[in-house]
Amino acid sequence: MTAQLLVNGLVNAALIAPPAIALSLLFSVLRFPNFAIGGYITAGAFLAYAANAGAGLPLWGAALVAMAGTSLLVWLSDEIVFKPLRGQDPVTLLVVSIALTLIIEHVVRLIYSADVRGFDLPLQRPHRFAGIRITEEQLELLALAAAIAALTHLLLRYTRTGRAVRATADNPVLAEVRGVPTRRIVTAVWVYSGALFGLTGVLAGLDLVIEPLLGWNLTIPIFAAAILGGIGSPYGAMLGAVLVGIAEELTVLVLPSTYKVGVGFFIIAVLLLVRPHGLLGQPEIRK
Amino acid sequence: MTALLEVAGLTAGYGRGDIVQGINLSVGAGEIATIIGPNGAGKSTAVKSVAGVVRPRLGSVRVDGAEIAGMAASEIARRGVAFVPQEANVFRQLTVAENLEIGAWTDRSRIAERRERVLALFPDLARLFRVRAGHLSGGQRQMVAFGMAMMVEPRVLLLDEPSAGLSPVMAGQMFATILSVNAAGVAILMVEQNAIQALRISHRGYVMASGRIALADTAACILESAEVAHLYLGNRQ
Amino acid sequence: MTAYLVSMATFVGFFMLLALALNLQWGMTGMVNFGIAGFYALGAYTSALLSVKLGLPLWLAMPAGAVAGLLAGTLVALLSIRLSGDFLAIVTLGFGEFVRLVALNEDWLTEGPRGLKIDARPFADVFSRESYPLVYLGLVAAAVALAFLVAERIRRAPLGRTLRAIREDAVVAEVLGKNVLLHRITVFAIGAAFMGAAGALYAHYVQNISPQVFMPMVAIFIWMSVIVGGPGNNWGLMLGAGLVMAILEGTRFLGDVIDWLDAEKLSAIRVILIGILLIVIIRLRPRGVMPEPRFRYRGSRAAADGSSVNDVTGRGDTT
Repeated sequence: MTAQLLVNGLVNAALIAPPAIALSLLFSVLRFPNFAIGGYITAGAFLAYAANAGAGLPLWGAALVAMAGTSLLVWLSDEIVFKPLRGQDPVTLLVVSIALTLIIEHVVRLIYSADVRGFDLPLQRPHRFAGIRITEEQLELLALAAAIAALTHLLLRYTRTGRAVRATADNPVLAEVRGVPTRRIVTAVWVYSGALFGLTGVLAGLDLVIEPLLGWNLTIPIFAAAILGGIGSPYGAMLGAVLVGIAEELTVLVLPSTYKVGVGFFIIAVLLLVRPHGLLGQPEIRK
Repeated sequence: MTALLEVAGLTAGYGRGDIVQGINLSVGAGEIATIIGPNGAGKSTAVKSVAGVVRPRLGSVRVDGAEIAGMAASEIARRGVAFVPQEANVFRQLTVAENLEIGAWTDRSRIAERRERVLALFPDLARLFRVRAGHLSGGQRQMVAFGMAMMVEPRVLLLDEPSAGLSPVMAGQMFATILSVNAAGVAILMVEQNAIQALRISHRGYVMASGRIALADTAACILESAEVAHLYLGNRQ
Repeated sequence: MTAYLVSMATFVGFFMLLALALNLQWGMTGMVNFGIAGFYALGAYTSALLSVKLGLPLWLAMPAGAVAGLLAGTLVALLSIRLSGDFLAIVTLGFGEFVRLVALNEDWLTEGPRGLKIDARPFADVFSRESYPLVYLGLVAAAVALAFLVAERIRRAPLGRTLRAIREDAVVAEVLGKNVLLHRITVFAIGAAFMGAAGALYAHYVQNISPQVFMPMVAIFIWMSVIVGGPGNNWGLMLGAGLVMAILEGTRFLGDVIDWLDAEKLSAIRVILIGILLIVIIRLRPRGVMPEPRFRYRGSRAAADGSSVNDVTGRGDTT
């Protein structure tokens, strides 16, 4: 029973880890909590749905379409909405990002209505190992999340652009002084994050159902994971996702499962009170 | 003959006020020029606006005759003008090696050779290669900051208070380093509180007060000027 | 038509109460609240449940809605007084969603998504059915007037000036010490009490409340009202509340003109419109339609104004 819950928790974590990493990356270079991620994820799910059920692409093809499309949407949202507001206080940007997520969600409603949908896939029988049930898809989800975490780590640590991203997050003025084109670096972060949000939309659509609130319902666990890991720290976000994912499942032991979303909030509230900078995050230096 | 770095009528500031009000400066090839002056005179803003960190509002900044005023700081860096800020001048989350790597962003040719040269300037850095810059002492950070700027072959080096926060011994070493870099042909414009030591190694000197250049002369003349000594150097001797 | 206008005016009244409350919290102290829907729902459910389940008279139940807001507001403010604006936003949003979750899941108490029916209405036996909507509008108007007076009093008091002067600067706030922190908590709690009162008035007006009404979207409508009106400006935000309602309601008539628009599509278009408008307003007039009188530019914007600092990521730590 508990082993099964742990496995479910890991599957949960695999779903929220990639977007938590993306959110953390975005925060690290832009310094405001971007609530538009819900809209981005929903957009990814519906793009994939359109490509899969609508245009008849296989799921992996649909996933690529969703990643590219969401990347484009995310990049456009920066160009049109956020870039002109750069330098405004974080609260203004937060209001704008919530407005943006509502806009995206309701554009989806306008096109697809609020009906619940699913991908065009054959049903699969779950595997059983030592009494633990896990489906093929869930195994793939776990592998994919691990691969993304590793890829992000390698990119940040060993590529020139990755180092520039970390430098820009650390000290944007100095990065600019050393010749790093920080604007282009920030754009690269938007695009990479966009691909991860798009992919999350696809994976969430597989694991849950496709509906306009899909992204919004994931927003809080994602924020919880990112804050738990010290917002702005992609490595922390991976760890945070595992903790949030497992915590969500374990509460099912004591609370009705409808309160799962509340767990994320609870974690955020307690964490912000105890450690305002997250577990691994460094306190920001304010003058 | 025009100087390597020519600043004319440069005006810059934050918000509504102009902190730097129409200054003229020039640094010839192979020269060291130092700006001194009381706190709040606008020295730091002057050098930041040359580097493009603060965007100039008026005036021109020419390097080898080419206008750079108004460009993004990264663009100015690409033209061989390397700026070392006074504060927050290293990437604290990155290791020393990674800091130097970022230093070479605009020109990656012969990166190993340059790293050797930087290590020759600052031998202490060799054993700190894998340490995060945030964990270093103030003096070590200053070396990393300076070293980063030397990872390209700058034509002009802009230094904002290079000896600030250093012990007298380390400050002396810093000025020796500046001299050796200059001896290799790099033109240097620096802002210094430590006026006497800085002027001793400089060719030109500028005294700034209230956003303007109050006095421009050879460094030696400024050192000897009774007026300046009285105004700015007196309490430091 | 008159009946429609009266009902619209009543709804504008609820918006005005919420906007006045948000302005107290944000406009005066800089404390961000995205859990407006939560305090609103708390007031509504408290009053409704006390009158439906316990049979309490309304003169007790409705003020209890405000008290519930006050208590919750105090708690949230106490817990999060140390947090910076963006993190406080996340915590308050969480509070709002938590209240909604409880209302949705504890259906033995709240009837869940089916909605809670409320029979009791204030002064229902004193006035005739025809005049009742007007009477209720009067009641709401009185509540708005009261809230307005309280808000103006706080704004004009020396305390209000201090609060506004420090709202941009947490360091100054800390230097000024516990006294100011206590006042900030008080002002936040008073705002939450207004929201609770608005909820109670709403519950007994519509006589049927369900969790779907208290979505986080409510917060965006109210933020829109305050931002349109100019933060810190109590007259401006009343205008803003009216404007937001006008947009929400005005778009209803689109359905009469364009026949492929069903109710669901219309409501989607309405939200899209509000969202776009909010972004455009923030982009064009960062200080709202009616800027707060006699107050300096907000620090961060003044820096952005000069555009002198090449800080591409907007961290603004160069000044």
